[in-house]
Amino acid sequence: MLHYVKSPISNETIPDKVAALLEQGIKQYIILKDGHIVGTDLNLTEGLYIDSFDNALNDQADVITKIELMNQNKSDAYNYVMEEANSGLVINVKRNLNIEDQLHVFVIQDEHDLVHNTVINLEANAHLKVTEYFCNINPASINLVNHYLVEENAELNYTSVNFFDPKAVISIIREGFVNRYGNLKMNHAEVSDSITEVYTNVALQEPHAVSTVKTVALTSDGQNARFEQNVQHLAKETEGYIENYGVSSDESCLVFEGVGKIHKGMKQSIARQKNKGIILSPKARLDANPLLLIDEYDVIASHGAAIGQIDEQQLYYLMSRGLSKPEAERLIIGGFLSPILTALDNDAIKDAFLESVERKTKAY
Amino acid sequence: MAKLEIINLYAKVEDKEILKGVTLTISGGETHAIMGPNGTGKSTLASVVMGHPNYTVTKGQILLDGEDVLEMSVDERARAGLFLGMQNPAEVPGVTNSDFIKTAMNTRLPEDKKIKLFKFIREYDKAVTDLKMNEDLPHRYLNEGFSGGEKKRNEILQMKMLKPKVAILDEIDSGLDVDALKIVGENVTSMKSDDLGLLLITHYQRLLEYINPTHVHVMMKGTIVKSGGLDIIKRIDTDGYDWIKEELGIEDERVVPEEEERIVLGTCATKEALNL
Repeated sequence: MLHYVKSPISNETIPDKVAALLEQGIKQYIILKDGHIVGTDLNLTEGLYIDSFDNALNDQADVITKIELMNQNKSDAYNYVMEEANSGLVINVKRNLNIEDQLHVFVIQDEHDLVHNTVINLEANAHLKVTEYFCNINPASINLVNHYLVEENAELNYTSVNFFDPKAVISIIREGFVNRYGNLKMNHAEVSDSITEVYTNVALQEPHAVSTVKTVALTSDGQNARFEQNVQHLAKETEGYIENYGVSSDESCLVFEGVGKIHKGMKQSIARQKNKGIILSPKARLDANPLLLIDEYDVIASHGAAIGQIDEQQLYYLMSRGLSKPEAERLIIGGFLSPILTALDNDAIKDAFLESVERKTKAY
Repeated sequence: MAKLEIINLYAKVEDKEILKGVTLTISGGETHAIMGPNGTGKSTLASVVMGHPNYTVTKGQILLDGEDVLEMSVDERARAGLFLGMQNPAEVPGVTNSDFIKTAMNTRLPEDKKIKLFKFIREYDKAVTDLKMNEDLPHRYLNEGFSGGEKKRNEILQMKMLKPKVAILDEIDSGLDVDALKIVGENVTSMKSDDLGLLLITHYQRLLEYINPTHVHVMMKGTIVKSGGLDIIKRIDTDGYDWIKEELGIEDERVVPEEEERIVLGTCATKEALNL
């Protein structure tokens, strides 16, 4: 059961790195620090609702109930977040509303351990693009549970960019529910230095629901990161795609576990998984386990994983045109990560992401 | 004026000696053609000059304008003015053609004199038009999904942009249809000048109809066995290579006799593999 207590904070200033991004002209944003709204620039059209969790508990109770109903019998971790939440955000888009402008959400940890819950509900035919930016200021344990409900023929394009430092411990649970003809695109760009565990669960619960879960992750130093994506085909003619791109360097360990599960009778469903990885040092580790659990004959499914060092031929080719080895490597890794770069609409955030990529791969 | 000197060059790959004493000098304004049957070391020569990591030079020297090329890394050779138009250029997904070539051009310029974007676009667009390539080329990923002909034309396009001192074109004609061959030939010919030395590696005399060589060499058994002028091309065109072999008493012209390699494709989760 949901229990929500907001922790008090003493300092409402926006941290420099976030302020620097805002200065580069980000519009349509909301900033949450330890659960408190510390900055907004929102141009709210009629029918678009964005507010912190405590306010939403009163005026958007039906949305929260709708999400709760779908979350029966969840794990201990999930229950912990629901009981201990001290930060949260609710976004609701009314029927037939197409929000053109990308929405930016900044979630910042400062004085307390963060237990955050973002709820996004798209009513029928609604369209929304959201980028969520996460970072921490102090050592903390950070728990996130996000919920997305994409109703009939709605489309949600969600991108999360994580910039946690090595002193944070991160656990993220994402639950997506997609109704008839709905489309949920979930992009995750991970450039944190923290121990990270991300569990994504998507329920394609009505026919023709589509979901693409795309993850790009870079690990460095002694970091451990694990990503599990679980796409459940609970209706006929549903499509689930899982794509993972990883770069692991130093002595870090990066694991992708993808599961595409097509339940019995869910005919004509499509489940595809693609994993690509680059290992940059002899002691780094990268695992990809793309699983398909299929209980039906009439389906289309594929899974694959290709992991290795930077391609020698590509390196030679670029160098034969005069690029130094580090330049060539930077270009190849940048190209490798391009599936997520196209999802990062904002140049300031894209640059911040690439800066972290360079930092995490620089030794090579 | 540019001058590439290859002196008594020996090179091996995985303990197999492929080049056995190649000597060749290419000066600016000259166009050399190396012909010869398959497996005689022509492409190896090109790769060794560029510095492909798979090959080891065991003996000999390569000098570009008197500087020791073998001491340089691949990228240093490129910046010194060498260019290799490759037989099978790599595909690099996610890196656009224009980004790549702009980066490559900038590596040749001092930090404070980077190429101006508009100047670059103008130059690039002109090269794209000259080579009759699609206008979307700058935004496409480097060689990804390119047809054989497009890859070859992209190599020539890069050569146009990078303006090397010595360019080696390794079988630039393979995979090209008649029209594309003509476009490539004309473009290469238009680049000819006293500041450019050209080395063409080819099986066929066809390309040489569009790019007139000044020197012709025939390679067999990892070394140059015959050098001369255009008359060699005519003779090869009508009689093949047998007359050269007879003249020199060579029976097998290949460096390493080809071995038949069997390739077995793996199985993944088939009934047979899982023993079902």
